Amino acid sequence: MHVLVLLLQILVLFAVVMLHVAYATYFERKIIGHMQVRMGPMRVGWHGLLQPIADGIKSFFKEDIIPEQADRPIFLAAPIICLVAMLTSLAVLPFAPGWVLADINIGLIFILAMSSLSSYGVILAGWASNSKYTFLGGLRSMAQVISYEIAMGLSLVGVMMLSGTLNLSKIVEAQGTSFGGMYIFPQIIAFFVFCVAMLAETNRVPFDLPEAETELVSGYATEYSGMRYAMFFMAEYIGMIVMSAIGTICFLGGWNGPFTVPGVPFFWFVLKIYLFLFVFIWIRATLPRYRYDQLMELGWKLLIPLALANIALTGIVKAIIG
Amino acid sequence: MFVKYKPKRNLLQTILHTEILQGMALTMRRLFSRPITRQYPDEEIPVALGFRGQHALVRDPETGGSTCVACMRCATVCPSRCIRIRFHDEESRRVVDSYDIEALRCVYCGYCEEVCPVNALVLTEIFEYAAYSRDPFHFTREDLLANWDRFVEERHIDRETYVNPFWRPRGMPEGRLPAAKRLPVPSDWTLEGQVVGAGYDQQ
Repeated sequence: MHVLVLLLQILVLFAVVMLHVAYATYFERKIIGHMQVRMGPMRVGWHGLLQPIADGIKSFFKEDIIPEQADRPIFLAAPIICLVAMLTSLAVLPFAPGWVLADINIGLIFILAMSSLSSYGVILAGWASNSKYTFLGGLRSMAQVISYEIAMGLSLVGVMMLSGTLNLSKIVEAQGTSFGGMYIFPQIIAFFVFCVAMLAETNRVPFDLPEAETELVSGYATEYSGMRYAMFFMAEYIGMIVMSAIGTICFLGGWNGPFTVPGVPFFWFVLKIYLFLFVFIWIRATLPRYRYDQLMELGWKLLIPLALANIALTGIVKAIIG
Repeated sequence: MFVKYKPKRNLLQTILHTEILQGMALTMRRLFSRPITRQYPDEEIPVALGFRGQHALVRDPETGGSTCVACMRCATVCPSRCIRIRFHDEESRRVVDSYDIEALRCVYCGYCEEVCPVNALVLTEIFEYAAYSRDPFHFTREDLLANWDRFVEERHIDRETYVNPFWRPRGMPEGRLPAAKRLPVPSDWTLEGQVVGAGYDQQ
């Protein structure tokens, strides 16, 4: 019986997240369009509201092209690795008090592990496609993930030190319900490092070097088509949602808000995630892509030292205050 | 002029990324501005003065046919050689047997209507005439006259004011133009000195 309930919960979460992914693409196109004084999708449905569904149907029925010289099993598996790793990390996110599929004690580490695992999908896709563009995209993704994973992990160490736990629900509870309790105030440096590393981890502009459509055609996804291509993008958007959730949980006080909305315990959590997603899109509409060496410089020479300094500072302050 | 590519920033501006924030503020302002997109098939696109679209032979209300005198200037000036005229001599004048335009070869330069001394040929404002085969783009004299009729009917054009008030050879004094070309030019068309007016002879 318990298993059935769990399965049902998983199904509901999956459906809700997939719907969010579909409409995240819609809002991205709409917002970027308006920021560029265009309109975005307007044709399918009222103001293009059915566009993501049309896109989904289209990519589902499109031909799945596999290059002759590709490493077939890895080529087929890569997008699935990407998507599954990202979907798995949804399990540990607490959406509201008690609303979590797997309330494990290493939630934060689990999510970091899963997001690194999903970059394996990108790297394997780049390798298995047997094409120059995808290979370069895969290599860039590898270097980028190695550099920024460290910065992201280190930036979250401060949060771990303050809350004394890795369990995501307990991190939220440790921040209390007050506005001043949010970790964004004592951990402002960590929040800055996290935000930059978050963009790099999800391969978003201005760190979209693995994809880089202006230089690498479509990066690691060049040889993919149809549903497999769509899976990479689903993974990317789920990654955005997961990273937004981590930012919300670790720095913005999770499901706590100025007042409780009766009947909708996840209201503030979802609102904060939407805020993060908007910032993702806003940044994409504004900033150009980083140059490769600048990306590395930023990661190793600025973000990692900053995160380390933040850890030291947090430790000293904690030792003095007690 | 010395262009300053990189304005000086102080340390605080560097740390707080003020330039990035400026950019973000700009995109945020644009988010609430009106899009300039025209939803083409639903909205009509304004056609500028002197637009060069589908070819037409102006129908002469007196004779009911074309005013073309088979001077062959258009066929001579055409850079893509898409105009083909056949004529025979009849006493002191030429009679046009056939007047064909291969629209798919046309580059819409407008030279033909510029040189036409009697304003017989025009490139109308119509641009929606796509078809599935090549045949509809081979315009015979009857097709071209029909194009004109359709154009007049659709856009409610007055022949006197539309036909070539401004399609005239550049840099030529008014006195040397053929009589039909000495029509008044709309004032907004003469703004950039593109059309040589009556005062040109004095220079």
